[in-house]
Amino acid sequence: MTSTASPSPVPQSDVRAGTPAIELKGLSKSFPGGRAPALDGVDLSVPRGGIFGILGPNGAGKTTLMSILGGLILPSSGSVRIDGHDVLTEARHIRHILGLVPQEPAIYPTLTARENLDFFGRMQGLSGAYLESRIQACLELVEMTGEADQRVEQFSGGYKRRLNMVIGLMHEPEILILDEPTVAIDPHSRALIHHRLRELNAAGISILISTHYMEEAEMLCDEIAIIDHGRLMVQGLVPDLLAQRRDEAIELQFFGEPGAGLARALETIPGVQRAEQAGCRVRVFSDRPEQVIAPIMQRVQAEAPTLRSLVFGRASLEQVFLSLTGDRGAPR
Amino acid sequence: MMRDLAKLRASVVKEARILLRDRQALILFFTMPVLFVLILSLSLRDVFGDRPGATFPVLVVAEDQAEVGRGIVATFRANPHIRLALAERASEAQARQWLIDGHYRFVVLVPAGATLQAKRRLGEIMAEVPADLRLEQPVAVRVLADPSLRSDYRKVLEGSLDLALHGIEMKLGREQLEQTLRVTQGAHFTGLPDMDQGRVFQPVHGETVTKRGGGPTPTSVQQNAPAWTLLAMFFLTVPLSVAFIKEREQGSLFRLQTMTVPAWVVLGGKAVPYFVINQIQMISVLAVSVHVLPLLGGDPLGLGNAPLALLLMGASASLAAIGFGIAVAVYARTTEQAAGFSSATVMIMGALGGILVPKAVMLPIMQELAVISPLSWGLDGFLDIFVRGGGVDDVLPEALALLAFSAFCHAIAIQRYRRRV
Ligand SMILES: Nc1ncnc2c1ncn2[C@@H]1O[C@H](COP(=O)(O)OP(=O)(O)OP(=O)(O)O)[C@@H](O)[C@H]1O
Ligand SMILES: [Mg+2]
Repeated sequence: MTSTASPSPVPQSDVRAGTPAIELKGLSKSFPGGRAPALDGVDLSVPRGGIFGILGPNGAGKTTLMSILGGLILPSSGSVRIDGHDVLTEARHIRHILGLVPQEPAIYPTLTARENLDFFGRMQGLSGAYLESRIQACLELVEMTGEADQRVEQFSGGYKRRLNMVIGLMHEPEILILDEPTVAIDPHSRALIHHRLRELNAAGISILISTHYMEEAEMLCDEIAIIDHGRLMVQGLVPDLLAQRRDEAIELQFFGEPGAGLARALETIPGVQRAEQAGCRVRVFSDRPEQVIAPIMQRVQAEAPTLRSLVFGRASLEQVFLSLTGDRGAPR
Repeated sequence: MMRDLAKLRASVVKEARILLRDRQALILFFTMPVLFVLILSLSLRDVFGDRPGATFPVLVVAEDQAEVGRGIVATFRANPHIRLALAERASEAQARQWLIDGHYRFVVLVPAGATLQAKRRLGEIMAEVPADLRLEQPVAVRVLADPSLRSDYRKVLEGSLDLALHGIEMKLGREQLEQTLRVTQGAHFTGLPDMDQGRVFQPVHGETVTKRGGGPTPTSVQQNAPAWTLLAMFFLTVPLSVAFIKEREQGSLFRLQTMTVPAWVVLGGKAVPYFVINQIQMISVLAVSVHVLPLLGGDPLGLGNAPLALLLMGASASLAAIGFGIAVAVYARTTEQAAGFSSATVMIMGALGGILVPKAVMLPIMQELAVISPLSWGLDGFLDIFVRGGGVDDVLPEALALLAFSAFCHAIAIQRYRRRV
């Protein structure tokens, strides 16, 4: 165990600089009794030094993927390498450089935050002054020094998640894997976690994070992969994926429902092909959106109730996501 | 290895912290067995023993019809608590069978020619024949007793027989002395012979007739103290397995699996605190049985004279219980499953093993079946110490059986814990 305060930002050798942080080849996983495979031939390469997002709807296989990376379950086929080492045969090496933050807080409710950190730190082989300094650093990282000696069962969900995350950092891993760390927490806690993840990344830690919040992936990640039904749909840099899509619709939202006449009035504007109304929303389709915005605003001011928002041209990962995973709406 | 030991220590500290914070559970762990022993040792006396005022069927097989036979019958007939039955002739085997079948609780066997033998024996004593030259053996009046006869009542019956024999001895002695004096006119009278040099009758020593024969039966407290200690120890498998599964459900166990923590550290971290609790349970039950029970009017428990054997039994029983609990925990899916399965199994093993009902009063076939219950091994070991005064050598088979059971459970638990799907 190294005793430096933070891992070195530069990869330690040229050989390792070339190897991806995580590399999956043909990874499949079928659970006994499961109807469809949870993972189905996933090839994925997570480069070193970035923040990589795994996106996918519920049941896509994100947790399964991460559990295989953490050595908790065995793949049915395919190979998994972390830092160039095979997860099956070189688990010992991997466990020292990998930090895994599970989706559900994995902590002892009747112990205090400090006792939890102390226990898991010792289980990672830390001891003495270094252990103490890591406990302190981790408490500060998630702004919990004031709550350190409270029992975890008294914490709110957000604090439990903060503690859950920071336990995975006790041994200063080089590669950090987080399974939906920001589910069910308030914007403040989420912002804190995002902030800390960016700091850790800047300090050289490679991060793999799963989420189904698109804005989160858009804001936080350099690169993402979208999986669904256990299959990899797409992998790429966030700007590249966004550039592939541009929504041609202009979306108007009103306070209250506009009259049926509005959509018809908007369709009379030259350059507008179609206008659809659904409740308080009206979508206007045009092949020259920039040119029709001004006339649209004139009609709206003449006919409709107060405009709430007008959105145009914002391609979002959400649209990429929905178009790839299918706009199912209903749960599987 | 040193690093793993440090991890084991941290696991033990963690588990102890969790346990110490669950006050209600701790209170339950320690008061349950103590209360059981107090209540049952005091109340079971009346179930297994006899109520004051009850009458006992006693059989006297008087194959001797002269002074000895008549004297014994007269003594028992004078006792209002006894329903006396007489037989002039019955084989010992027949008498045993009557006892086993429950027709009588206490049987006195007066051998044929007892009076004649007593007189000859007495004559030799009076003539001051040296002990090694006497031809006649002391007369053996045998006693057979039902194991469930309350020990104090049995002592009273044996005592009154003893008294009767003393009386007969005195009477025969006086007659013989008078006769000698009459014949010799006191010419050679040199004083009374020392009667203590050789008894006319063998000391009364009751034999307990159990179905399998032989061996003294435990008193109520000798049975109850180890029985409830063992049951309490094994019942700790419920909180132990529930704690383990909770840890799995809370995900902390999976988290440990992503770290380099060997299985024995995880399981050992659980075992050590529960082992300590088991030992405290045993000590408190024994202490209460020795010191508190007599204050409440019960028989005190004698601890035998092999503290090392006691420690060995306590440790191996606890390890067996913990192994069982860990195996259940690793195999069960839910806390409900673990709690339900382990409590039901412990109750069944307890019933089979002579914990809930003493083996002595079980049907012969059930007594044979008791062998499959680890609790029965534990109980036999403790009874070896308390009842038969056994030492380490005597309890070694039971202790080794318990340790082997523990090793087996731990082995399958570790194997399962390491398994990945
Ligand atoms: N232990 C298991 N046994 C059987 N099937 C399982 C098991 N764990 C997961 N699955 C199945 O595998 C599939 C993928 O599940 P997984 O938990 O990886 O999804 P996820 O992407 O993490 O979903 P979420 O966003 O809801 O966390 C699901 O269909 C699930 O039912
Ligand atoms: Mg998941």
